[in-house]
Amino acid sequence: MRIDQEKCVGCERCVSYCPVGAIHVRKDGGKTKKRSWIDEDECVECGVCLRANVCKPEAIYLPELGWPRIVRRAFSDPMVEHKETGVPGRGTEEMKTNEVTGRFKRGSWGMAVEVGRPGVGARLKDLETIAMALAEKGILFEPKNPVMFLFEDPKTGKLKPELREEKVLSAIIEFVVKPHQLKDVFEVLRKASERVETVFSVDLISFPDEKEFALGVAREMGFPVYPNGKVNLGLGRVLNR
Amino acid sequence: MTHTLHRTGKIEDLREDFPMLTHVSRGFNDVGAGERLKQMAEIARKYTDLNFGDCKVANQFMMPAEEIMERHTVGWQVVFKDKTSLIACMRELKEKNIGISVVVSGLFDEVFDCCQKAGIDPPLVEFALGIHGNQEKISPPEILDFVTMCGHGLVSGHLVKKMVEEIEKKKITIEKAAIELAKPCLCGVFNPHRAAKLLRKMVRP
Repeated sequence: MRIDQEKCVGCERCVSYCPVGAIHVRKDGGKTKKRSWIDEDECVECGVCLRANVCKPEAIYLPELGWPRIVRRAFSDPMVEHKETGVPGRGTEEMKTNEVTGRFKRGSWGMAVEVGRPGVGARLKDLETIAMALAEKGILFEPKNPVMFLFEDPKTGKLKPELREEKVLSAIIEFVVKPHQLKDVFEVLRKASERVETVFSVDLISFPDEKEFALGVAREMGFPVYPNGKVNLGLGRVLNR
Repeated sequence: MTHTLHRTGKIEDLREDFPMLTHVSRGFNDVGAGERLKQMAEIARKYTDLNFGDCKVANQFMMPAEEIMERHTVGWQVVFKDKTSLIACMRELKEKNIGISVVVSGLFDEVFDCCQKAGIDPPLVEFALGIHGNQEKISPPEILDFVTMCGHGLVSGHLVKKMVEEIEKKKITIEKAAIELAKPCLCGVFNPHRAAKLLRKMVRP
């Protein structure tokens, strides 16, 4: 996002809407008039400032974004579906439609690691740190997740080099874990927690009657289990002919 | 996308916070899904008017709900503040058997109780296993409770602070401030009822 310095009147209304605090105010060249400006290195191109519709002179605008910057928008603005990733949004249908797709099978668990969440944002190099460490343990990533288009080699979790410093609101690594892999995965995440610059959230998908084993390992490895979460009601079915 | 997971807050606050989402499954039930999503949205909106949205379109504070329903993409979201309405909605969705997937978030004990009362046996659950990494970057708990109500991270902690300041200066009411905070969350899973209660606790008399 950008702010047209000729149009900006320095009212500061846009400043607080930025989820990553990338909008600042400065005096224009030593003059007394204030202007808002966007720190392009910190901006994740989420579009919140523009959609807030608080800029009366319409100084906020979205410039044309090329590669690799367009990745910021794809992983920050939920309204975007763009050709570089080929997949809309940051994740997949995951457990939301499992009663229809049968994607997650009994005897294993779905897991997701979302870097940058909640509300912090992340440089993609942090995603790479976690992905490479998981890949070393033999974890295979969900092929339909849009992060797969960011990897130079999806088997190793190595990113395309030009993407490492790009900042996004969040990006998700999704994978399936078998019983013998659970401890390794939690250990990898515990170590990664000390290496990354940002935050990440972790989640686990389970059939209700198979949850205790995985949650027991999680607790043993120091991962809290929130009392709230998501429940698929099982109301979907195949309808396409 | 896990956008209704990882909501933080005190148990008593979470007892009034139940996001519901529908999601079409590509290749399985996406043909002609717009009409089915609309039927399901009409059912849900009979039981809650707190919020409604489609993250590829808008939420009800940005666009009339009827217009959102005409432009459905892969699913819609609403949020409930009480179990009675949620159970009634779940019952009707089950009875109408329209065939699109539905997910409800909230305190597991409460959601499972609702499922039982609605005659639903949930096939899959998703657990939040905490926030890790650089803890210094996380907003304080009272701000995080607002921020995590938008799983896409579109609600700014700075905006929460600004709304508190403006309420204290009597520039905006608590109810309007809660809606202002709900606007950036395109999906419609932000709970303005809960936000208003949280704002009330933060505002100095």
